Amino acid sequence: MMARLMPLAAQDRALILCGGLLAIGLALLPAVASALVVDKLTLLFIYVMLAVMWNLMAGYAGLVSVGQQAFVGLGGYAMVRLVEAGMPPFPAILAGAVLVAGVAWLLSGFVLRMKAGEFAIATWVLAEVIRSLVSFDPLIQGETGTSVLALNAIDPDLRRTTIYLMALGVMVVMLAGTWRLLAGRLGAECQAIRDDEEAAASVGVSTMRVKRQVYIIASVGCAVAGALWLASAITFQPRTAFGVQWSVFMLFMVLVGGFGSFTGPILGAVLFFALQEVFGDFGAWYLAGLGVVAILFALYLPRGLVGLWQDRGRDEPLSIRKRLAAPGDQV
Amino acid sequence: MSTTGITRRRFGALFGTALAAPAFIRPAFGQEADKIRIGFVGPRSGPLGVFGDGDPFLVERFNATWANGIEIGGKTYGLEIVLGDTQSDPVRGSQVARDMINGEAIDVMITASTPETVNPVADACEAAGMPCLSTSAPWEAFYFGRGGKPGEKTFNWTYHMCFGTSNFVTLYSDQWSKVPNNKKVGALIPSDADGNAIRAGLIPALQAAGWEIVDPGPYENGSADFSNHINAFKDAGVEVCVCFPFPPDFPVFWRQAAQQGLAAQLKIMQMAKAGLFAPELEALGPLGYGLHAGAYWHPSFPFASRAVGLSNAELASGYEAASGKQWNQQVGATAGLLDAVLAALETSGAPKDKAAVADAMSRLKADTALGPVDFTTGAMGGAVQNCTETHLVGVQWNKAAEGPWQFQLDVVSNADHPTVPLTAEMTAYTLPG
Repeated sequence: MMARLMPLAAQDRALILCGGLLAIGLALLPAVASALVVDKLTLLFIYVMLAVMWNLMAGYAGLVSVGQQAFVGLGGYAMVRLVEAGMPPFPAILAGAVLVAGVAWLLSGFVLRMKAGEFAIATWVLAEVIRSLVSFDPLIQGETGTSVLALNAIDPDLRRTTIYLMALGVMVVMLAGTWRLLAGRLGAECQAIRDDEEAAASVGVSTMRVKRQVYIIASVGCAVAGALWLASAITFQPRTAFGVQWSVFMLFMVLVGGFGSFTGPILGAVLFFALQEVFGDFGAWYLAGLGVVAILFALYLPRGLVGLWQDRGRDEPLSIRKRLAAPGDQV
Repeated sequence: MSTTGITRRRFGALFGTALAAPAFIRPAFGQEADKIRIGFVGPRSGPLGVFGDGDPFLVERFNATWANGIEIGGKTYGLEIVLGDTQSDPVRGSQVARDMINGEAIDVMITASTPETVNPVADACEAAGMPCLSTSAPWEAFYFGRGGKPGEKTFNWTYHMCFGTSNFVTLYSDQWSKVPNNKKVGALIPSDADGNAIRAGLIPALQAAGWEIVDPGPYENGSADFSNHINAFKDAGVEVCVCFPFPPDFPVFWRQAAQQGLAAQLKIMQMAKAGLFAPELEALGPLGYGLHAGAYWHPSFPFASRAVGLSNAELASGYEAASGKQWNQQVGATAGLLDAVLAALETSGAPKDKAAVADAMSRLKADTALGPVDFTTGAMGGAVQNCTETHLVGVQWNKAAEGPWQFQLDVVSNADHPTVPLTAEMTAYTLPG
């Protein structure tokens, strides 16, 4: 008898529908919302992108990187360089990401041969090396940096709305894209590698190919997020663009939201954003508070916010786990 | 700029729901049309927090001075300063500046202290069409660090008043002539951005002025061993040493210089970047007595701050009384910034009109706590618009003659700022004991 898979649960279908409606609503929002709201939501979208991309690598493929800031920074740097070469700023955001894909492909051959701890350290070292190399660029002037002045030529409202819509669009594409990828063959292969790389290889998973795909996708995602952030901030300073804080943010959002779940990083990004908005003015105490929150989650809620659902005996929303249908099930 | 009545703080409160106390919510909109709101973004916590120590005192004095408002163009306006903290983080600085522009309905922005603070804030303002005035970051870092091109009008909304490389050349040439020495100068310059700029600009200018420079090469910030540099300086027999370290590196270098016999041979130990704040010297103890530095403000500057209604001497004593801490240079520089922005608002004739305020900045001539500033000439012989040079004096950290503080800062050289009187004769550095 052919094994049949359970279809998407009704609640998941409802969730996807809600998400779609929410995206449409958000796309119409700039028509009515203030500049402040639009600017803030752009930042939230960027956080979601970073969290989803990091979770794709670490949560699904087991590639725990603490050097993704390399690609956040490179995305911005590629944009700076392309704009300097005469490209208009908005196309440069996406074109830069394509260049970063090339860099990620080159690097992947080197870093992906390492395992776990070595991989994490290598990614961090690589990020520092890339930052140093970028600061040798006379345009960047060491740590001084430069600014994407071409953006000043665009009307502030138009610029803000364009960046917002780009961020929303990219985020939706990322979410839909990772969902499709993970629900397909790549998702199963990823999780097999995460759980036991040698066993995965022994049953015929081409581990290097899978890891390389995930690594490149996540790097491009971070690059777009970095370029969008730069487009809204305009100031490119290597210490900031390549700052380790980006990786810390990603780690926090994913751990708090739910490592290795689809909705976890989104919840984590929203929570992180809310914490930053409410408590960000407290400075050092805020950062200490974030640390405490992370520790509490690691101790008492290791599966993050999504774990709360599972503790109540409910299924994880939008799980990519496959379930076989029992003979009696309605399919 | 149109707004729909949601403030930055209220927006946060919406997200935090129960977490957000009503104290977070402040009615920023629908406010009186005759109140001028000045946004002030600076570091008040984190590693650069010491630069913002004077802000609460200055804001209180400013509010007291202008409690009855200010008359501009025949109309009386209230004045309010809205504070934002970068937490010493450029990412947050940029965000705080944008929040203020979009959500706090400010009319003008001011910002101060290091390029990491000033550049992101100025960029946010330039992009949003918000007039912005800044200080306390070398003007080259402000201008070239944001892609400014000499000879072009690169920026329309952002203006900067601070010293630059040429002020150091004038200052050092004078200060190093105050005690006899062999004109051999050891240069301790890291590999960071400031270091590269100094190597490219300041060092050749000092050589042209007749100083023999011994530069053993760049080192990494955070270095734990300066033996190579110390030996090179000893071998060359330098009697002057000038350094541009990341501030925490200076005590490491100086202790090693004392142990390895370099300090005993030096007549002048000139600090830049390090040695701005008394606590750094206190950490060195007696090894710090007699070290030399440059200063961008000092209580003996013969000027006053109209914005806070105090002479420079009163600024220092008032700050000490209010905070219980020794005065620092940024207190005066921030007062000077407030003086300049106030003058720009006044000369604009229309302080609620952003274009008029930016235009007023471009031709601003004002008396400030730092001395007169004049934006009509520009820096670099007029090639760099939007920037104007303020001036430096040479100082020496000496053992305080009387309490309560351990160190006093004496003005010993004024070639770059001749109206400032000297407060002491410069002496050669001598090792304690």
